Amino acid sequence: MILGDLLGVHVYDDGGTRLGRVADARFVVDGPPRQLLADARLLGLVVSPHSASSFLGYERTGLDQPWPLPRMLRWRHRGSFLVLWEDIAMIGTKSVRLRAGFTAYSPALDGAGQE
Amino acid sequence: MKRLLGVALGVLTAIGGFVDIGDLVTNAVVGSRFGMSLVWVVVVGVVGICLFANMSGRVAAASGRATFEVIRERLGPRAGLANLSASFLINLMTVTAEIGGVALALQLASSVHYLLWIPVAALAVWLVIWRVKFSIMENVTGLLGLTLIVFAVALFLLKPDWGSLAGQALAPAVPAEETAPTYWYYAIALFGAAMTPYEVFFFSSGAVEEGWKVKDLVQSRINVLVGFPLGGLLSVAIAGCAAVVLLPAGIAVTSLSQVILPVAEGAGKLGLAFVLVGVMAATFGAALETTLSSGYTLAQFFGWSWGKFRSPAQAARFHLAMIICLLVGLAVLATGVDPVLVTEYSVVFSAIALPLTYLPILIVANDPQYMGEHVNGRPVNVMAMIYLVIILVASLAAIPLMIVTGAGS
Repeated sequence: MILGDLLGVHVYDDGGTRLGRVADARFVVDGPPRQLLADARLLGLVVSPHSASSFLGYERTGLDQPWPLPRMLRWRHRGSFLVLWEDIAMIGTKSVRLRAGFTAYSPALDGAGQE
Repeated sequence: MKRLLGVALGVLTAIGGFVDIGDLVTNAVVGSRFGMSLVWVVVVGVVGICLFANMSGRVAAASGRATFEVIRERLGPRAGLANLSASFLINLMTVTAEIGGVALALQLASSVHYLLWIPVAALAVWLVIWRVKFSIMENVTGLLGLTLIVFAVALFLLKPDWGSLAGQALAPAVPAEETAPTYWYYAIALFGAAMTPYEVFFFSSGAVEEGWKVKDLVQSRINVLVGFPLGGLLSVAIAGCAAVVLLPAGIAVTSLSQVILPVAEGAGKLGLAFVLVGVMAATFGAALETTLSSGYTLAQFFGWSWGKFRSPAQAARFHLAMIICLLVGLAVLATGVDPVLVTEYSVVFSAIALPLTYLPILIVANDPQYMGEHVNGRPVNVMAMIYLVIILVASLAAIPLMIVTGAGS
C-alpha cells in the first residue's frame, strides 16, 4: 500500500460512526537531517466530512485570493480536522479507524505553511 | 538596441506563432457560415489567452516551474492524473490535426496526395525537435508564419463593403440560414481555437527552456500583450476573407483549399505563394509546439528530466514520449480521417479541457509561496475570475451543443 491509496478512504471513530474521508496527509520535516532537507515524518491525516478533494492549498489561512475561490473551497471542507498518527487505531484499504478519545486538531496552517 | 531587437523579434514570432491549423480552419468555417457575426468571440479569446499566458509565464519565471509541474503539485496525484489524461489526449488530437495541416498545405503546393506527405511531415517535425535549437525553431517558424498577413492584404484587395462587414461584427446576429445552437457551438469552437491549452503548456515550458527570470517578465508581457492581439487580427482577417468570398457564394468551408481560396481570388498567384508558405509555417510551427507540449506535459507530471536545453540522451523519456506521440498521430492520419474534421473537433475539445489547466494556474498565481511578491494584482484577479466563469460555461455547454447540433452540421 502506498500513501496515495489512503486518499479518499472512509474514516470511522472507534464506535463505527463515519467521520469523513481522508483528504490529505500532513508531514513535518523534522526527521534525521540529510544533505539538503531533514527526512519528512508523517504527522497525521486530514479528515474532511464532505469531500475528499484537494484543499488546493487553501488550508493555509493566509491565502484569500482570488475571491471567491478560497471561501468556496473552505466551505467544501468545513468541519475537516487533523488527526495525529498516534490517534489512528487501524488503517485498511477500505477504511481507517481512529482510537477512542482521539483529538481533532484544526487542519489550518498559517501563510508560511506552519501549524 | 539588442534589447529592442529582442522585443521586436518576440512580438513578431508571437504574431506569426499565434495562428495554427485550428485558427485557420475555424475562422474560415465561421466566416463562410456566419460572416463577421462571431468576431466578438475572437476578441474574448484573445483577451483570455493574453491573461492566461501572462499568468503562466509569470508563474514559470517566478517559481521556475512549468504548467504541469504546478498542476501535479497543487492537485495531487489523483486529480492531477485525471487532468493530465484529458489534457494530454486533447493535445495529441491537436498534434494529429497540425501534422495533417502540414501535409494538406504540402498537397496544395505540390498536387501530391496529402497521405503521402504525412510521413514526411512527421519525420521533419521529429528531426527539428531532435536537432534544432529552441530559439531558432521558434523564431524561424514564427517569422515565416508572418506571411499569413497576406490574408489581411487579400481582404483589402477584395475591396469588400467595409460598412457591412463592420455592421456584422459590431451588431452580431445569428444569420437566417443558421440556428442559435449552431451559432453558439461555433462560438465555443472559435474560443477553443484562440485559447488552445497547448499554447500555455508551450509558453510556460518555453519560459523555463529559455531560462526566464523575473527581470524578463516585462519583455514577455510585451510579447504577449502586443503579439497575441495582432495575431488575433490575422484570425479576423481569415474570417473576413471567407465572409467576403465564400459566404455569398454559399460555400461552407470543409477543406484547406477553401480556406485559402479567397487569398487566391484577392491577391492572385503571388498571394497564393505567400499563403502556402504561411500555412505551412504556421502548421509546422504548431506541430512542433504541440509535439513538444505532449512531451512537456508527460515529463513534467512524472518528474522526468525534460527540455530541449538538455541533449536527447539526458532527457531520453521526454524524447521517446514525443516520438511515440508522433507515431500515434501518424497512425490516426493513416486511417484516412479528414485532418480538417480532426481540427474542428480538437478546438472544441480544447475548450472543454481548458478549465483543467486554467484553474490550477490561477490558484498558483495567487500563492505567495510560489510567487513571492509577483502574485496576481487585484485587476488581474477580477479579469481572471470573469474568465473562469466564461471558460467554465464554454466547457460545460460544449458537449450538449455538440450533440444538439450534430457537431455544427
